Amino acid sequence: MRSVERSSPLARRNPSIKLGVLFLVSLVVMFVLDPVTPAVLYLLALVGVVLSSGAPVRTLALAHVPFLAFAAGVLVVNALSRPGAVLWQSGPLRVTEEGLSVGAALAFRTLLVGVLAVGFLLSTDGVALMTSLHHNAGLGARPTYAILAGYRMLQEMPREWSLIRAAHAVRGDRRKDGRPPGGPRHLGGVVFTLLVVSIRKGERVAQALESRGLGLEPRSTWRPVRVSTADWVFVAGVVLVVGVVLAASAQLGLLRGPGALFG
Amino acid sequence: MKDLVLMVVLGVVFGFAYWALVHTWNGLSILMGPAGDLAQHVLLGGWLLVAPIAIAIIRRPLAGVIAEVLASVVEVVFLGSPVGPTLIIAALIQGVGSELPFALTRYKRYGWTVFAVSGLLGAGLVFFYSAFRSGWYGQDLFTLRLAVQCVSGVVLGGLLARVVVEALARTGVVDNFAIGRGRDGQ
Repeated sequence: MRSVERSSPLARRNPSIKLGVLFLVSLVVMFVLDPVTPAVLYLLALVGVVLSSGAPVRTLALAHVPFLAFAAGVLVVNALSRPGAVLWQSGPLRVTEEGLSVGAALAFRTLLVGVLAVGFLLSTDGVALMTSLHHNAGLGARPTYAILAGYRMLQEMPREWSLIRAAHAVRGDRRKDGRPPGGPRHLGGVVFTLLVVSIRKGERVAQALESRGLGLEPRSTWRPVRVSTADWVFVAGVVLVVGVVLAASAQLGLLRGPGALFG
Repeated sequence: MKDLVLMVVLGVVFGFAYWALVHTWNGLSILMGPAGDLAQHVLLGGWLLVAPIAIAIIRRPLAGVIAEVLASVVEVVFLGSPVGPTLIIAALIQGVGSELPFALTRYKRYGWTVFAVSGLLGAGLVFFYSAFRSGWYGQDLFTLRLAVQCVSGVVLGGLLARVVVEALARTGVVDNFAIGRGRDGQ
């Protein structure tokens, strides 16, 4: 479903640490509601991801499309739907200063979290992340392996999907022009079949895992994942950059919290 | 273990179905522009489905919360949701909301009303978190958003869940889980 760069500086960081940093930054910016601070953070994050993830610029640009569209939608809705000092009015539509400011803040926040998430996904292998969560973050063996089993099923799902659709097409009614059926009703049927097949498969997987002694302690593991000094340097670096930007923004009087929402 | 894998399976299947739908949907939502931002409330109930289905099949405390969180982990880690890991917080709140009504009936009643309330609470609770995260407070549309989201929660996240559970029970694939044992006892 996605390919992962393995040799870049970001790819060599511990997956749990990366997830933790992404989580922390997402949480912190949730409380920032002026447009300038998240915009600066976004530019810094963009530069950081371009330099450290080793992903081609084209891939990064393409990955921007969904959240760029979402950010644009957020900006427009906020500009139009917030009370405040009117900048422009035409019939029932009016753009307010407060709306533009909050909208831009939310749009830049969407971009910031989006680019960080993309950097994380492009540099982190899903299986490595689950192994790391198991080793470094204390996630139990049962949930870890249940999720990994689910991941395996997910990889096979596109094939399963076309198989079910083909089976339906062989049996099912054709449309008038001879094409196989494809309406929402039909798709609902395919999803339901997929659900039934997967539940059955999941039960077998669970039995197989248990009969192989999953959940017995102590476990030994192939290719243990470790947290290195470089990982902590990475954490310190990100925290420092975010801290400096927030402090500078507060010094300049630009920083605004959730109070901005209520005027 | 069987129950745990079932929760993951539900998360994965719905995750995959959403992923397929979102791909067709994305183009449409870009065309709709700002209206796409409102359309998310119409579909929100769909994200709640996993929790009530898991509870009705497994009938154990916390099944709904765990299933919802696992589904979000699959979305974030393997399907690459651009929302990022804060999606897991939203999932936790949704799970708690969806599970509450079942917990209050001590996991004994699975009628239409309980499912409907479950969808309502799931959508209602998470609304206040999303509203903060996405800055909906202070917008003119605040009440409209809340109303649409609650209706969607009841229909897609509550009543539809019961339809799916009934259909699954009829196929016999869940006979080995608590739901099947419950029926034998009757």
